[in-house]
Amino acid sequence: MSTPVPRARRTHPLRAEWAKFTTLRPLWTAPFLAVALSAGITAAVQAAYGRRDTSLTDDPMEGLYYGLNFGQVAVVCLGILLVGQEYASGTLTTSLAAVPDRLRFYRAKLLLGTGLGLAVGLATVGGQLAATTATVGLDLSAPGTVRALVAGVLYHPLLLVLCLALTTVLRNQTAALGLLSPAVFLGTTALTAVPVLRDAARFLPDRAGQYALRLADTPGTPYGHTTGLLLMAAWTLAATLAGLRTLHRKDA
Amino acid sequence: MIEIRDLTKAYGGRRAVDGLSFRVEPGRVTGFLGPNGAGKSTTLRMVLGLDRPTSGTALVDGRPYAALDRPLERVGALLDAQAVHPGRTAAGHLRWIAASHGLPARRTAEVLALVGLAEVADRRIRTFSLGMRQRLGIAAALLGDPAALLLDEPVNGLDAEGIRWIRSLLRRLADEGRAVLVSSHLMAEMALTADHLVVIGRGRLLADTSTADFLAHHGRRRVRVRAVDPAALAALLATAHPDAVPRGDGVFDVPDADPARLGALAAEHRVVLVELSLTHDSLEEAFMRMTADAVEYRAVAA
Repeated sequence: MSTPVPRARRTHPLRAEWAKFTTLRPLWTAPFLAVALSAGITAAVQAAYGRRDTSLTDDPMEGLYYGLNFGQVAVVCLGILLVGQEYASGTLTTSLAAVPDRLRFYRAKLLLGTGLGLAVGLATVGGQLAATTATVGLDLSAPGTVRALVAGVLYHPLLLVLCLALTTVLRNQTAALGLLSPAVFLGTTALTAVPVLRDAARFLPDRAGQYALRLADTPGTPYGHTTGLLLMAAWTLAATLAGLRTLHRKDA
Repeated sequence: MIEIRDLTKAYGGRRAVDGLSFRVEPGRVTGFLGPNGAGKSTTLRMVLGLDRPTSGTALVDGRPYAALDRPLERVGALLDAQAVHPGRTAAGHLRWIAASHGLPARRTAEVLALVGLAEVADRRIRTFSLGMRQRLGIAAALLGDPAALLLDEPVNGLDAEGIRWIRSLLRRLADEGRAVLVSSHLMAEMALTADHLVVIGRGRLLADTSTADFLAHHGRRRVRVRAVDPAALAALLATAHPDAVPRGDGVFDVPDADPARLGALAAEHRVVLVELSLTHDSLEEAFMRMTADAVEYRAVAA
């Protein structure tokens, strides 16, 4: 009975999360879909024009990040699914029986989400940059260009973890999809059309984060480009803490 | 060993589990019985640290589940066979659970073979029947080769062969020295499987006893009699055994009677019997009687 039992390794919860990710098709296909949509649509549009489209804006980043509007749908879905599928299928019970320390469980989810987000961000921005350089060209020495590219990479893990954490708060995949997809894809854009709400909508995470992806200043924006990304990071941090609080307080 | 002490779980004012205390000892199968809604699943969830008790404790080898270092090697649990992602394969489902404890890949193959699912290891769970999902759930519970097993209604959805299989599996696991707790709302099933019974109703402990003692204590004797002339028998029983219950076709059940004396009594009154047999109440009836007051939702007789 007194056989020494090897202590649980710190990496085991992360390995379990990785195994959950690789054994479920909707999960492991989402990053590929995100990169394909973002980089693919950017490449297609830039190649179709053949030169930089300056009819609406002088900001070359508008064209480079055009595909992101589509690719980020897959990023949002991945963030929701990483947590939501556990609630939807009921595997959360088994997950918490295997890793009863809810902080360790949540930390593993966050680590996987951050890692996947970074990988998707690097591949997406890399692909969009390559497509843009090959077609319409890009002046990397123009002020703010490097900042906008780095912000584009970081935008992905921030968005993914934000969705992951909010799903943890909601504890319901359907509710998370219902709330987050229109909020990110319709809501905040629609809000900016209403003058009264426009000022408030500027502080929503996706609006603030995407401001860091632009070179041109939007008149009346009360923060700078880099601050926009920090604002988004603050949202993500707040959601993460709220998720932890929910996990600790509620029965599984 | 699993020890539950004064465990209580209240939702608002309603107590789903109410001051429950019992132990699950190694080396035997403990049947955890109660009508639906009696608090069995809530109790198991509190043992696993999924639900927080309002008061009281549930300990595994003297520690709360959440404080165990490698919990799946102490306790294997099957709470709900349907709580699996239908898009994963059987092997995929076990792989992530194994990964949480750094268990080798061959262990997932071993437990799949043990429950008879080796051939469908790479099929998606979507295509599995409830019986196959029960087997997969048992495979998951056995992954860590645990010293204790908690199985919530494992025979649900199993066919006759599956039920026989699980009975012999539970027996073998207990004989290996493991503590096995099996919940069920079917008394007859538990009578065949369990060495020990813990019966609850409305979250309270009703009985904590060996199966044999439970049967001896609650399984009431009755004598079944039938006569050539039913009217004569009815008249005789009306005076001698007013508690006799007519069962139709001239058959009467006489509770707590002695067949020899009943036969003598009939002979004395020249009532010719064609049947005289001693039967015990089934365990199911004893269980129904015991939990009658504790049944959560009962159909009101019209």
